[in-house]
Amino acid sequence: MNRPPPDALAERLAALLAQAAIKNQRAFADLYELTAAKLFGVALRILRRQDWAEEVLQECYVSIWNHAGDYAVQKSAPLTWMTSIVRNRSLDWLRRPQLEATGEEYDIAAEAWQDESPGPLERLAASSEAAALARCLQELDAKQRQSIMLAFFHGLSHSELASHMKQPLGTVKTWVRRGLERLKLCLGEAA
Amino acid sequence: MASYRNPQLRDKLAAEYVIGTLRGRARARFQALLRYDPELQRIVAGWEARLTPLALAAGEIAPPARLWQALARRIAGSGRSASVGRGLAFWRGLAVTSTAFVLILATFIGVAPRPEPPMAMVAVMNDDEGRPALVVSWPPMKAVRDPYVRIKVMQEHPVMAPGTTWEMWMLPGGEEAPVSMGLITTDVDQTMKLRPALASRMDGAWGVAMSVEPKGGSPTGAPTGPVIFKGQCVKIL
Repeated sequence: MNRPPPDALAERLAALLAQAAIKNQRAFADLYELTAAKLFGVALRILRRQDWAEEVLQECYVSIWNHAGDYAVQKSAPLTWMTSIVRNRSLDWLRRPQLEATGEEYDIAAEAWQDESPGPLERLAASSEAAALARCLQELDAKQRQSIMLAFFHGLSHSELASHMKQPLGTVKTWVRRGLERLKLCLGEAA
Repeated sequence: MASYRNPQLRDKLAAEYVIGTLRGRARARFQALLRYDPELQRIVAGWEARLTPLALAAGEIAPPARLWQALARRIAGSGRSASVGRGLAFWRGLAVTSTAFVLILATFIGVAPRPEPPMAMVAVMNDDEGRPALVVSWPPMKAVRDPYVRIKVMQEHPVMAPGTTWEMWMLPGGEEAPVSMGLITTDVDQTMKLRPALASRMDGAWGVAMSVEPKGGSPTGAPTGPVIFKGQCVKIL
């Protein structure tokens, strides 16, 4: 399939959102077509269950349909706006008090960015807009990078990070905080 | 709440909210704060812009076809032809509350034993989750000496971010721009007096909206901050 380059994609998505805002179902179907696999990947990695990810993603697209008119181009890129909706809903889902782990969840280790795993970082570096982020992540200490990526990709809380990485809570919290500070500084220089 | 004003803490909380390590009550508290604090929204948007490429770099996974089928069923019926004017796209984003629900609320409001005329119009203003946040109603303007609207807060008490205020707008419909109605207070049940010029237009109002503005109200006469609630008007009398 021929994919438009990132900037053209952003323009196309913004135009489709504007059409969805006036309830153009055809445009919404195109919007879904262009974004669903990206956003399903985001939801599935955080929720780690197919059924939950499907449910959350469906709610997210209904919300995008209802609130497409609230999307403001000058505030964020369309894909960033949509990704944040999916990430926040997924994280809120994990916070539900009645939620119980059933053992059907995927194992995080199955997709290992355990230490130096280059997979996602290589993909990042390949896209020009994200190259700066990839470079800045590489500059972090391995532990800082690993804790940020585990938290970000898989929705691990501080205490889950601590038990997953077999480290005291305070240590893990410091890795995340320092890592984020350094990341911001590094990206600021890049801009 | 003073600590939430510390810029370093705000940045740290925003970062942890975006990467997802802010959990439980801290996350809920932060979300409540975020809704009405445009500056905090900008800080969060900055972190989202920084980190979103990472979320997407993990690779695509195609969802099953049943997901689109379920979605298409849910949005069917709320569609429209693509030719409707674009300038209004922003306001058309509002979810239309079902008439049945509005009527139930109307009875609830109308039945209150008050020495005032029955309400002629009502608008339920929903938050961005589609839940009713405020109900605005008004009597036939010809039947009252001093025109007013009544505002009932349906959710928790409004929390206004420091240095901000909430301004209510009448949406005339068509291609016309929103008209300021005034600033609301934090009371759960309040009345807002209207300028006579505005009162005469309320019978034809299409909807109402609430935006976050700097103290004293919008400096431009048009909404400048985020629109937090919107609702369509329904005639009940």
